[in-house]
Amino acid sequence: MMLRSLALIIGLASVLAAQDIAERATRILQQNCAACHGAAMKMSGLDLRTRESMLKGGEHGAAVEPGNAEKSRLYRFVTGIEKPSMPPGKTLPADQIAILKQWIEEGAQFAGKVEVDAGAAISKMEDRPITPEERAYWAFRTPVKPAIPAVGAKNAIDAFLIAAMRAKGLKPSPKADRRTLIRRAYLDMTGLPPTPAQVEAFEADSSPDAFSKVVESLLASPHYGERWARHWLDLVRYADSGGFEFDRDRPQAWRYRDYVIRAFNEDKPYDRFVREQIAGDELYPDSADARIATGYLRLGPENNLKNEQTRLDELDDVVVTTSNAFLGVTVGCARCHNHKFDPIPQKDYYRMQAVFYPMKPYEYPLISAQEMERYEAEHKRVRDLQKPWKEKLNALEAPYRDRLMAEKKAKLPDYIQLALRTPPEQRTEGQKLNALQVEKTLTIEQEVLLAALSQADLATHKQLSAEIKALEDTRPKPFAAAMSVMEPGREAPASHFLHRGSAGQKGSVMQPGVLTVASRSEWKFPEPPTDSSTSWRRRGFAEWLASAENPLTARVMVNRIWQHHFGEGIVRTPSNFGKMGERPTHPELLDWLATEFMDRGWSIKAIHRLILSSETYQMVSDDNAEGLKADAENKYLWRMPRRRLEGEAIRDSIMFVAGNLDLTVGGPAVFPYIDPALFQSSSRRTWNGKPDSDPSTWRRSVYVFAKRSIPLPMLEVFDRPDSVISCARRNRSTIAPQALILMNNAFVLMEAQKFSERLRKEAGADSKRQVELAFALTLSRKPSGKEMDEALSFLRAGGEQSLLDFSQAMLNLNEFVYIQ
Amino acid sequence: MNQRFLSRRKMLQSTGGGIASLAFADLLAGASADKAVSPLAPKPAHFPGKAKAVISIFCYGGVSHVDTFDPKPLLKERQGEALTGKGQIVVSQGHPGGLMPSLWSFKKHGQCGMDVSELFPHVAKKVDDIALIRSMYSISNDHGPALFQMNTGFIQAGYPSVGSWVTYGLGTENQNLPAFVVFSDFRGGPIGGAPNWGNGFMPAAFQGTPFRSMGDPIVDLKPPKDITPERQRRWLDLLRKLNEEHLAKNPDDSELSARVQSYELAFRMQSSAVDAVDVNKETDATKALYGVGEKETDYVGRQCLMARRLVERGVRYVQVFSGGGNFGESWDAHWDLKENHEQHCMETDKPIAGLLTDLKSRGMLDSTLVIWHGEFGRMPISQKMTGRDHNPYGFSMWLAGGGIKGGTVVGATDEYGYAAVEDKKAINDVHATVLHLLGLNHERLTYFHNGRHMRLTDVAGNLIKEIIA
Repeated sequence: MMLRSLALIIGLASVLAAQDIAERATRILQQNCAACHGAAMKMSGLDLRTRESMLKGGEHGAAVEPGNAEKSRLYRFVTGIEKPSMPPGKTLPADQIAILKQWIEEGAQFAGKVEVDAGAAISKMEDRPITPEERAYWAFRTPVKPAIPAVGAKNAIDAFLIAAMRAKGLKPSPKADRRTLIRRAYLDMTGLPPTPAQVEAFEADSSPDAFSKVVESLLASPHYGERWARHWLDLVRYADSGGFEFDRDRPQAWRYRDYVIRAFNEDKPYDRFVREQIAGDELYPDSADARIATGYLRLGPENNLKNEQTRLDELDDVVVTTSNAFLGVTVGCARCHNHKFDPIPQKDYYRMQAVFYPMKPYEYPLISAQEMERYEAEHKRVRDLQKPWKEKLNALEAPYRDRLMAEKKAKLPDYIQLALRTPPEQRTEGQKLNALQVEKTLTIEQEVLLAALSQADLATHKQLSAEIKALEDTRPKPFAAAMSVMEPGREAPASHFLHRGSAGQKGSVMQPGVLTVASRSEWKFPEPPTDSSTSWRRRGFAEWLASAENPLTARVMVNRIWQHHFGEGIVRTPSNFGKMGERPTHPELLDWLATEFMDRGWSIKAIHRLILSSETYQMVSDDNAEGLKADAENKYLWRMPRRRLEGEAIRDSIMFVAGNLDLTVGGPAVFPYIDPALFQSSSRRTWNGKPDSDPSTWRRSVYVFAKRSIPLPMLEVFDRPDSVISCARRNRSTIAPQALILMNNAFVLMEAQKFSERLRKEAGADSKRQVELAFALTLSRKPSGKEMDEALSFLRAGGEQSLLDFSQAMLNLNEFVYIQ
Repeated sequence: MNQRFLSRRKMLQSTGGGIASLAFADLLAGASADKAVSPLAPKPAHFPGKAKAVISIFCYGGVSHVDTFDPKPLLKERQGEALTGKGQIVVSQGHPGGLMPSLWSFKKHGQCGMDVSELFPHVAKKVDDIALIRSMYSISNDHGPALFQMNTGFIQAGYPSVGSWVTYGLGTENQNLPAFVVFSDFRGGPIGGAPNWGNGFMPAAFQGTPFRSMGDPIVDLKPPKDITPERQRRWLDLLRKLNEEHLAKNPDDSELSARVQSYELAFRMQSSAVDAVDVNKETDATKALYGVGEKETDYVGRQCLMARRLVERGVRYVQVFSGGGNFGESWDAHWDLKENHEQHCMETDKPIAGLLTDLKSRGMLDSTLVIWHGEFGRMPISQKMTGRDHNPYGFSMWLAGGGIKGGTVVGATDEYGYAAVEDKKAINDVHATVLHLLGLNHERLTYFHNGRHMRLTDVAGNLIKEIIA
């Protein structure tokens, strides 16, 4: 049908005069093509302004082959025969296509030059206005504190949830017993189970504020920060190595990890936490903590190849992670085009890129200026002392090197030897290249050199080398430093809008900016003082992020806190509040929490208190037919959800109940054993794992060295994220390899052994007491009669290994690895 | 809608792979509320595909195409001359030299008369089953990103690998074995490590499982020797009873019951996985075909034979890395091309040819797609006098079996083998074609992530129709 009408029109067009055709074709190019392939910009290197430039073509060759439309790229693209079809996002009307065809067939002569207003063309391409409707989307409206529903609940959270449940005909579940409750709170807040003594004390406490006393002690525990920092570290894809080809270790990265742990433990106001990570150096230049915080900007994977493209990719990683983690939007989708679903212009992406564009890596010394001076002086001293020894060594080696070099050259292919023999001024281009290659790359390996030395010279060589080495060993150790950033100066280097995200298609120079749709007026970036060493772009951006005017920051963070208490957020796509994300299940509650969060000085612990003191948090997690029928996904929170612990909490809990967990807080990372078969030793990717029996590895999992290419299997198998992309919500798999590790891994077996020894030591030889203690330690409860019978018959029928096997079974129980 | 969504979500949560993405059946058989299925249960293809499984042989480091599958006599004629007329020659390191002739001679082979060099005498006999693409090109001249692009379509880490996409699309046929198995070279794994067979943003179920080539195939498959299967079975029975007590209070939780079942599967796998890789169950004639027992070919020979046994048992995707560790340990012949390529070709030639022969004689070649490639080719000019540098602008790869038109040659590089010029093929095109041969449309196989329907082929990919039978 389409083809037939096309044929008809082609027939019509063929009667048009040549001059007329040229004018029409030129107009079509002007209206549809020249903006991207003209004065303003030459996408794919193609310039369609003149016949010559058109025939010269772009990266993909000539645009037109005069006389043959079917073979002309221009025609193939506008007809869609070849992809991507042109012009992007629209199809030319059939009559215009027919004119272009005839025009090409007849030789493609231009009627004048194709011209468009470059400035207008650029702004037409780069600007994407935001409509009032788009601004009215729920996530972009400033949260306003809603009225608390009058349903007779003491806690506001309960009030919102009960009101929503009533509307659905659902009822909240009953309150959990004390042992369940304290176990839940401990695992949730610290990632470790309570001790039997803590459980008993809580059970015996008849005061009305017994549970809030537990909550306060948990909030005061240093282990709270260790658990909740882990959630944040997932989000900022924290690792102790750089990923990519070399996956280089980052020996100072742990300082950022400890900073996050400290921030949670100290209840650092979240707005300050945000500002420190984005612009700690500009806002709080004298605070070591704030410098360490800017390590956030350097956590991403690092390509060992350095060029414009890899630099843009690294900036992209920062823009993507920042928009995901702090704002809950996917600005990254706007790198190559305006966001397809959300009102995020491509220009917003490049304005955000401009915020980070000036920054460069900087190891901020955490030592005093005097210490620094001493450090540098020491290095110079060693260098100076080594110098005479090195000169002697070189003099000794020189004749041998010359001889070996001559031998090696004699073995090169004839044509290369010819190049070397040819006098330099007579060499052909190829011979010059080959001669230079020999000169620059022909080397004598150290072992070959040593083998060639005479006995006497070898002895001298050894002596000289030993002197140099001895001096080398006196060099000062690397000083403590924060992975931080700096900028070249007050003036930021220019960055550009990149059409289609391509470095080769630069548009306008970009000024820093914020997310337009989430900002009521044009956000003013501060002017740095004249002596500033940075542009203050990040400072301006950080202040916007952490301002009460920002509709996203508080909502996104309270939703994350909620998510980690209840398994799912109020918005179940915690890093995507946009159209492709899910709507909040309780929008008023979300806004109430967000405003409360800001009113309470952005205190994260205040939100924990609110949640933990709610009746909602204290419900049982048991199945209930009515609830399941009405709301199987538990979106209305009619019961406390049950969820499996993360790998970190499982590993930590195992060591905790076995009695060998080292509870030291903070410090450099540790290296547990990993089977070499899993990382296949390569000199670039090494894992200096200590044996399982080495107590230095018995630390909480947040301190395990996070090497991007060598994940710890015990954590990986339980869905530890890959630390390449921001992870807001871990997958939760239930798979056979998890069982294999807990059944067979030597570390787990050692822990089972330690656990059984603890049982024997603390409960004595009586099997019944051993079982009771095992239940108290692993499950925070007493065994049922039936459980006791099963356990006793297992212990009695088995040999001397049965207590060990029983211990391992306890560490594998569903109930042990679930928060319920 | 909710119910469907629930099933899908629960399904993704209740299964998966991790370090060993061991698929499993019946894990949820005891679940009463949610009849979810394993994400690795066999799934219908978009349309009938010829191939059912894939064996990918990845020559990590980069194979020199001008010395193996893409003869360039002009290199001999103009040896030592500068390479001109190609714009700025981009090298990954060091100083570009002049044109360097191949050290090996080429001959025409098979009915189709395909040119193959003397480095691959055994594979050369299989050319009538092979479709050769001489016009491949890729983006990066750096190993890490180039490996990622070949394995995931993207130069950054963090995207699902081809094996993940295939198992996500089709599931697997044997629920007692991993769906996607990876073998590494004895000298070490490829640069970049686990992300090369990673699941990216997909659930862990779709991750590749590294198999060891000697001993127990999976790390932690079995307990230490002093713990007998009977003894382990005894405490697993206690565990099951105690878990069932707990489950009785929460009968509708499919995740809990899946976890109970995962122990049963793990126990069964201790024998099924060992059996699957036990090449001693093969006849001497079969072993000889792969070069098992011969010094140079034993290792890769075993891996190729294990790959066949795994595919035979329903494993969907097997990847074998040849070359590992650093520099000369891989195919990365910067210095001594002769020593490097003679070594690596000898190690792989007979095993690969043996695999093709064996698959064919068992009637498995029609349904098994075999792919051979590196992450890029090598330069026609010299590097460090006797080596060749990385070359992503033009290189060769081949495919065989599983719906491939044998004896085909597609595309060409320029007169020196520097860049692909005729019928250029991108890695996305190969990925689209591999999915197509398996019955999957690369534009329809999507995974929703971070606000976007992600694809293996991103926004590109054209079928390479010339090689499809």
